[in-house]
Amino acid sequence: MQKKIVALGVSAALALAASGAYAGDAGPNEIRVGMYFVHFDTTASDISGPYTPPGLGIHVNNVETLYLAYTRSLSDHLVAELAFGYPPLTKTEGRGPAALGSVPYNGQTISTARWFSPSLLFDYVFGDPDARLRPYVGLGVNYTKFFDRRSTAAGDAASGGPTSIELPVSVGPTATAGLTYEITDRWHLYASYSVAQVNTRLTADTAGILRTSKVHFWPNALVISAGYSF
Amino acid sequence: MLRKIGVLWAVLAVLGLTGCGSNSPTAAVATSNDRGTLVENPPLRVASLNAADFSAQLSATTTGQQLLQLAGAPACGVDFYYVKYWTVGPDKSAQLASAALMVPTGSAAPCTGPRPIVLYAHGTTTDSAYNIANISDSSNSANSEAATVAAVFAAQGYIVVAPNYLGYDISTLGYHPYINGAENADVMMDALAAGRAALLTSFTPNTTDSGKLFITGYSEGGYVAMATVKAMQAAGGTVTASAPASGPYAVEALVDAIFAGQVNIDSTFLAPLLTTSYQRAYGNVYSSPSDLYASTYATGIDTLLPSTSPASTLIKEGKLPETALFDSTTPPSAITNNPTLNAQASALLALPSSPPYSASQAALFDVGFGSPYLINDTYRVGYVDDEVMNPDQAEMTLLAGGTLGSGNLALAASPAVGLRQDLKLNDMRNGGWFPEEPMLMCGGDQDPTVYFTNAEIMAALWSPYVQGGLVSVLDLNGTPSGAFATLQGAFQNTYAQLVASQGAAAIESYHSTEAPFCLVAARGFFAQVP
Repeated sequence: MQKKIVALGVSAALALAASGAYAGDAGPNEIRVGMYFVHFDTTASDISGPYTPPGLGIHVNNVETLYLAYTRSLSDHLVAELAFGYPPLTKTEGRGPAALGSVPYNGQTISTARWFSPSLLFDYVFGDPDARLRPYVGLGVNYTKFFDRRSTAAGDAASGGPTSIELPVSVGPTATAGLTYEITDRWHLYASYSVAQVNTRLTADTAGILRTSKVHFWPNALVISAGYSF
Repeated sequence: MLRKIGVLWAVLAVLGLTGCGSNSPTAAVATSNDRGTLVENPPLRVASLNAADFSAQLSATTTGQQLLQLAGAPACGVDFYYVKYWTVGPDKSAQLASAALMVPTGSAAPCTGPRPIVLYAHGTTTDSAYNIANISDSSNSANSEAATVAAVFAAQGYIVVAPNYLGYDISTLGYHPYINGAENADVMMDALAAGRAALLTSFTPNTTDSGKLFITGYSEGGYVAMATVKAMQAAGGTVTASAPASGPYAVEALVDAIFAGQVNIDSTFLAPLLTTSYQRAYGNVYSSPSDLYASTYATGIDTLLPSTSPASTLIKEGKLPETALFDSTTPPSAITNNPTLNAQASALLALPSSPPYSASQAALFDVGFGSPYLINDTYRVGYVDDEVMNPDQAEMTLLAGGTLGSGNLALAASPAVGLRQDLKLNDMRNGGWFPEEPMLMCGGDQDPTVYFTNAEIMAALWSPYVQGGLVSVLDLNGTPSGAFATLQGAFQNTYAQLVASQGAAAIESYHSTEAPFCLVAARGFFAQVP
C-alpha cells in the first residue's frame, strides 16, 4: 500500500512538472513554498490519573518548519488554499514541580510528536486584481493528526516506565490574514499570520495506568513564502 | 480534478507522510494468568526517591523523624513499583492482585549489585483501598506502613516485595481470606515471583536478586510470614531466615482466649474479617450470619469488610459496635451432662473480673462486653462449651494459669464448632513442621491486640530448636539483654512516653507502637544470618 501511494505521488508530481513545462500564461494554480514560524499558546489541564500528584502541567515548544501550499484562484478575489507544514517535531516540556520525588520534571522534554496539519482555507483578496500589493483574509478548517508520538527517557522516568501516548485527531477552525506582493506574472511573495484551534486529549499509558490532559495548542504562525503560478 | 488530486499526493509524498511513524510503546501485557505472572512488564514505578530526598521527606513529620531515628538515615534511595500479578484464591481460581516492589538505588555499596530480598506481609486493615505500593499518596491508609518498610529495609539495601492481600486494591475476590495460611502463602509466593521478574526490567537492572530471601511481616503479616515459611519449606523453596512479628500464629488458642472473655482490642472488626474468610473458604461457620451475629448487626455483615468506609463511619452507621464483642450478661454454659465442664464453661462465659485477672487486665477485657453486642449469646455459649469439651491444650493451660510445656500444647483433637475446625486448620501448630532456617519471633508481652502467648506457644512447641538457637523469641517488653537490648530499651522508653501523654488510652496504641521496633529487630536479625 505504501509503495502504491508513493508511486502515485511521484507520477502525479511528474505530471505536474510536465504540465508546467507546456503551460503558457500564468494559470489559476499556484504552488507556494516558505517557512512556518509556529508559536504555541498551549493551555492544558493538569495531568490527571492514578499515581499522579496534582499540579503537573505541560508546555509545547515553538517550532519552525517548511510551509507548502497549493492554491487555486476561483475568481479575482477568491482563492482556495490547501496549506501544509512539513510535519515538525514538537517537543513537550513538563511544567510544575521541579521534581517528582527525585525525578526532574519542570523544564524536562517529556515527549515529542510530529504533526500532519493541513488547512483548507478560502481567502478573500482585497484590491484591484492588477495591484502588486494586495491584502487578504481567509477562513477555513484545520485537520491535525499526530504521529511519531514518543515519550522521552525523561518522560518515561517521570511517568514511571515505558509510556505510549495517544493524541486523537483534531479538526477545528483556522483563520489567516496576509499580504501578497506580485513580483512577476508568475511569482509572488506572501506574508501572513494564521491561527488554528487544535484541541486534543492526551492520554499517556504507563503499564496500564492511564493519565490524561485536555490540551489546547492554539498554534499561531507567521508564514513567509514565495508562490509560482501556472 | 484529477490533476488537483495529483498535486495533493505530490505534496504528501514530499512530506514523507506515506510511511507510518513509530510511536513509543507502553509495557508488555501478559497473555497468561499463570501463578506469579507479572501483568505489565515493566510495572509502573510509582515514585523514585534518592537517599537525601527520602530522608528530607521523613524529616518533615514528627512520626517520620521518629522513624528515621529508629531505622537510621537512608543509605540508599528507593524506587517504588506497583506490581500487578496473577495469583490464586482459596479455591485455586486465578486472581488478579497487586504488590509493592521497593528497589534500593544509588551507587553506595549496599544499594546496588546483588541484594537480598525481604518478602513483607502487611498488617490487618479494614480499608479495601489499602495499597502498600502507593507511597506517593499520603491519604492511602497503607502510606505509613509503606514508609516504615521502605525506611527500615529498602533504604538500607534490601529489595522489598510486599503484596496487597486478596480483597484489597485491585483484587476482585470480594472478601479477604483473613488468617487463611495456605491462601496467603500462595499470594506471598506469587508476589515474590512477579517481583523477581519485575526486578529484571526495572529502572535499575544492576540491582539484582542475591538469592537470599528473608520473610517478615507484622500482626496479620506476622502470621502470613510464618505461613509462607511453612508453605515454602513444604514446596522445597529456600528461605534464608524469617522474622514473623506479633502474629496470631496459634490462632485457635487466641480465638479461644477471646471467646473465654479475653477480648482483644479491635475484636469487633477482626471478627467479621475472620468469619467471612472461613465461611467463604470452607462454608462451615454458619448457615446464616444470624447464627453467629446478634440481630442488630447480622444483616450485611458477611460483605461488610474490607470496606471503603473508615471504621469510624461503620461504627457511626451502626454497622459494627465499637468495642462490645459479647453480651455483658451472657448466659451460663448449656452443657447438661457434665457438671464439671458446665462449671468450667460458665466461669469462662462470665464477665472477666479481678481475680483471676489483674484490675487493669479485667478493665481492658470488660471493654469487649456491652450492649448492643456483636456475637449472639447462643453462639458464644456453644463455642465456649466446645472449648471445654474439645480443649485447645495450650489455651486451657494458660486460662488455668498453668505453664506451657511439651505435654500441653496440642490443638483441639476434634472440635465440633465449625469456626474452631477452621481455626485448627489454620493454626501454625498444625502440620508437624518447624522452621528449618533461623526464625525470630518478635512481640511485646503486653500486646492487647495479638497476645504474646502466640509466640510463647510456638516457642514451647519448638523448644528443641529454641534451645538449639534456630528459633528465638524477642519480647520488646522484657528486661533488656542481648543483641536487642538497645531496641528493647528504646521501645519501653517510647511506650512510657506514650503512657505519660495519653494515660490508660496508650494501651490502644501498644500493638502499632511495637511494629517498627520489631521490623528493625528483624533487619538486625537478617543482617547477622550468613
